[in-house]
Amino acid sequence: MPIVIEVKNLTHIYGAGMPFETVALDDISFSIETGEFVALIGHTGSGKSTLIQHLNGLLPPSSGKIFVEDRDITEKGVRMWDIRRKIGLVFQYPEYQLFEETVAKDVMFGPKNLGLSEEEAEERARAAVELVGLPWDEIRERSPFALSGGQRRRVAIAGVIAMEPAVLILDEPTAGLDPKAHSDILHMVETIRAERGITIILVSHNMEDVARLADKVLVMDSGRLAMCGTPAEVFSRAEELSELGLSLPAPAEFMNRLAAAAAERGMEPPQCGALTADQAEEAVLAWLRETGRL
Amino acid sequence: MEPIIKIEDLVFDYQSDEDGGTVTAVDHVSLDVERGSFTAVIGRNGSGKSTLAKNVNALLLPSGGAVYVNGYSTADEDKLWEIRRTAGMVFQNPDNQLVSSIVEDDVAFGPENLGVEPAEIRLRVDEALRAVNMYQYRKKAPHLLSGGQKQRVAIAGVAAMRPECIILDEPTAMLDPLGRKEVMDIIRKLHAEGITILLITHFMEEAAQADRVVIMDRGRLALSGTPEEVFSHREEIRDMSLDVPFAVELADRLRKKGAALPEGIICEEGLVNCLCRL
Repeated sequence: MPIVIEVKNLTHIYGAGMPFETVALDDISFSIETGEFVALIGHTGSGKSTLIQHLNGLLPPSSGKIFVEDRDITEKGVRMWDIRRKIGLVFQYPEYQLFEETVAKDVMFGPKNLGLSEEEAEERARAAVELVGLPWDEIRERSPFALSGGQRRRVAIAGVIAMEPAVLILDEPTAGLDPKAHSDILHMVETIRAERGITIILVSHNMEDVARLADKVLVMDSGRLAMCGTPAEVFSRAEELSELGLSLPAPAEFMNRLAAAAAERGMEPPQCGALTADQAEEAVLAWLRETGRL
Repeated sequence: MEPIIKIEDLVFDYQSDEDGGTVTAVDHVSLDVERGSFTAVIGRNGSGKSTLAKNVNALLLPSGGAVYVNGYSTADEDKLWEIRRTAGMVFQNPDNQLVSSIVEDDVAFGPENLGVEPAEIRLRVDEALRAVNMYQYRKKAPHLLSGGQKQRVAIAGVAAMRPECIILDEPTAMLDPLGRKEVMDIIRKLHAEGITILLITHFMEEAAQADRVVIMDRGRLALSGTPEEVFSHREEIRDMSLDVPFAVELADRLRKKGAALPEGIICEEGLVNCLCRL
């Protein structure tokens, strides 16, 4: 697969030369392939937000290079406009950014700024609203402020989708949602990826989601890229993650506890490494059978 | 003993923004909260749990029924201070709750407003900051703290008012896992010291730490009981857009495959012990 984003030796220093000088990003390098589902994890203040703001040109690096589809976006003379239509960024609590009188006007705002005609903009808006799972005809003339919180969030995401970006970055898109709305939003992200082939970068604190959805996990700590690998690789390093203030997905955490308790009692421990509830179930059943207890 | 919070057939209506019609957010709910208990309220977005919480410390007043805090009706305006002094509230967004530019000033704000003597305020502020493990940050500016630290300062600000009860409305929703754990540790500690806790949350693992779990659905009280009882209604809980803690889910799956696990397992430790004893 071709590389869509390549980051080389990216460093960002806030307030350089000032008493509060902080190295927010410290020599970061990685690449993302077209169509990949990438999860970005790390505790608050680890540099995740600073990093994603570089990827669509909201912050310029202090040093280092960022290539988007082979184009160096840190070069002088690059039109940020071209970058931002390629890399769509959905901030945390995006529903607070809605501002128009109707859902249709809000979602059409971006496409119209691209210079599209009214008809083209509306067609894109309709497709985007339907892709996020909302009925276009029913809500197009409604005020976004009259929708439920979960619906408002979908409308805000549709506004970014309508720009038809190649990469969609979502910063904790499920924050504050109940468990059903949470899984609905993630299901929506998977649909967007499947139907449009968009590369996804998901900033998340939910390790179960990361384990289930991501092809690749980037782990940030104190502005450094501490780990980069598949969920299985990253979550096999439980001790290091714990030192970074991060936890394992609940199934993995549970299997480790079970193994430790079994070892303490002098029993054969079960196989660890499960990342999902299905895998944990299988591992426990296998263990019970092997030890003749099922 | 009389319950610290008594909710009697509470109804709360509000005007819809869109068509001006009436929406019933809380629909004939009755609930007693015992002194010193730890109650978790869960429910989907829009189920009425925050509205319920705001009715308890008189931020909202009942459209029907009544709410009593320490025997005082929240509708009795003369008792407003008594009610808010008894039941302090912590909200979701830590950035909206801190008012001062120095941590200890922020914590002193509540007791100052209660008219507490300066020497006593000093004692209470130090004690509250120690209770939430933020004493060493007392001279810092709140904006330099992490989300979890800010939320602990907000809790200290409420604790310094020496309330008998603290109501927390999704206090961990905007925090990362470490911040969530810090805040939950403090909540359990305050409960152990005798403070009544009413915790609104979307995290089932947090609800499982309470003595009692109450589920709100469409403005009504759908289920109430110990975590063991409530989380045994797995299908109903999923129908209400909620989830069960991972240990409950896994135990359920294993039982279906023939593992002879007892009912009432709600935490991982419990499941580990049961599995080792099989």
